[in-house]
Amino acid sequence: MSELHWMTVEAAARAIAAKELSPVDLTKALLDRIERLDPRLNAFIRIDGDAAMAAALAAETEAQSGRLRGPLHGVPVGIKDIINVAGLPTTCHSKVLQDNMATADAVCVERLRGAGAIVLGKLSTHEFAIGGPSFDLPWPPARNPWNTDHHPGGSSSGSGSGVAAGLFPMALGTDTGGSVRNPASCCGIVGLKPTYGLVSRRGVFPLSFTLDHVGPMTRTVADNALMLQAIAGHDPRDPGSAAAAQGHYGAALDRGIRGLRVGFVHHFHEIDTPANPEVTAALEHVARSLQVEGAEVRTITLPSLGEFGAVNRVILQSEAWSIHGPWLSERPGDYGKLGRQRLMAGAFMSAGDYMLASRRRLQMIAEVEAAFREVDVLLCASSMDPACRIEDTAEVERTYPRQARTPFNVTGHPALAMMAGLSVGGLPVSVQFVGRYFDEATVFQAARAWERVAGTDKKHPPIV
Amino acid sequence: MDKEAIEVLARRSGLARALAEFPEDVIAAAKQAADVAQKIKRPTDPVAEPWPPMKAGTTL
Repeated sequence: MSELHWMTVEAAARAIAAKELSPVDLTKALLDRIERLDPRLNAFIRIDGDAAMAAALAAETEAQSGRLRGPLHGVPVGIKDIINVAGLPTTCHSKVLQDNMATADAVCVERLRGAGAIVLGKLSTHEFAIGGPSFDLPWPPARNPWNTDHHPGGSSSGSGSGVAAGLFPMALGTDTGGSVRNPASCCGIVGLKPTYGLVSRRGVFPLSFTLDHVGPMTRTVADNALMLQAIAGHDPRDPGSAAAAQGHYGAALDRGIRGLRVGFVHHFHEIDTPANPEVTAALEHVARSLQVEGAEVRTITLPSLGEFGAVNRVILQSEAWSIHGPWLSERPGDYGKLGRQRLMAGAFMSAGDYMLASRRRLQMIAEVEAAFREVDVLLCASSMDPACRIEDTAEVERTYPRQARTPFNVTGHPALAMMAGLSVGGLPVSVQFVGRYFDEATVFQAARAWERVAGTDKKHPPIV
Repeated sequence: MDKEAIEVLARRSGLARALAEFPEDVIAAAKQAADVAQKIKRPTDPVAEPWPPMKAGTTL
């Protein structure tokens, strides 16, 4: 059996079901690793070790008597700290909600537990899932396990850092302007923003009602499909929840991609936001590799990244202001500087700005939908640069907006980011696959084809 | 947007305290918001609808 901390979700669940692996041993091994490595990574805001061990013991007893709760039975998971876990505070990494005790699990957590997962604790984020790494909050920012002097991306920073470092094999993140896919890109793991409405947002602290998504973060594509299978599905009490029937997300994983039509969006990284040459080279390599595997790759043009970004910002900051306005009015000093600046911006946007962005949004959706009449999946950049040093504030501010993730928050299409390679500096560079609404299975199919060619699932950071 | 306009808008939005305690953050926030909408193409069709649409009876 491989080292427990690098075991995939799939392998761990299979071994537990076969009574070859004890959930107690697995959980204990991960908690030991967390104790050893987390002081350098800051992935956790709160480790819930006792509850995790109690849950692992219950899972072991059940497994021994042949009772499995579901496909994740006995497998540990980390939860971004804007998502409710009953009995733990949901702090949103902010002094504002330091004592905000959750009385019930978010629906996505409830579903993970229903599938047998064991919650290890709550994970670092950017304050209220916006901004960047900050040093003026009650908890330090998470760091990148490939090089702890560098940031891990965000806002699901602890989720990305912890999955990549082998602290847990899966985590929940949220994505409003790219916050699952940014840490997935920076930390070299697999992060999916599902179709808007596929995963319930109930029990997740909102940033922007019409842009928020909950998504799975894992080290392999198959694990991501497995985790999505557990959390997807209609929730009648989430007004944004889709009524679409649940799919079989891993159905096409090993089908290969012969004949798949892949639309390569060159202008995102070549014209709109010219990428670091290492990122450009990696994207070209992915496209060529998929072609060799039998995909038909053609160029696709979408609206510019600048315009997508503007639409995302106007909507996000306007909706966020509607949530944070009262707190920013009464207790602005309880926010960190970055969060305060970003969240106050909505006060200066007009109703006209918001409606303009919302009307343009529908046209942008139509333009992306038109592309999907020509191709089955899109391939494009995620981050334009590898992660920079976390304490280089100017470089963080320069590189954070250099990305191609916001388009798919605006349109709601499913989008997955994963490793495309490693830079000469030893940091991950990334690629993004985007699919039709509710066609996560094809996104996974393309991503799995690349993973198989490149062996990205076998590449782990050198942290020990 | 000039400083005076920023202050008027900030006070109208309930940010008087922030303006007193963190004036540079209020100005930074206003600057972030100032020109962003200008990057968005205005729909030429005057009846272009927004997203998400109003849909009666499909939720809750």
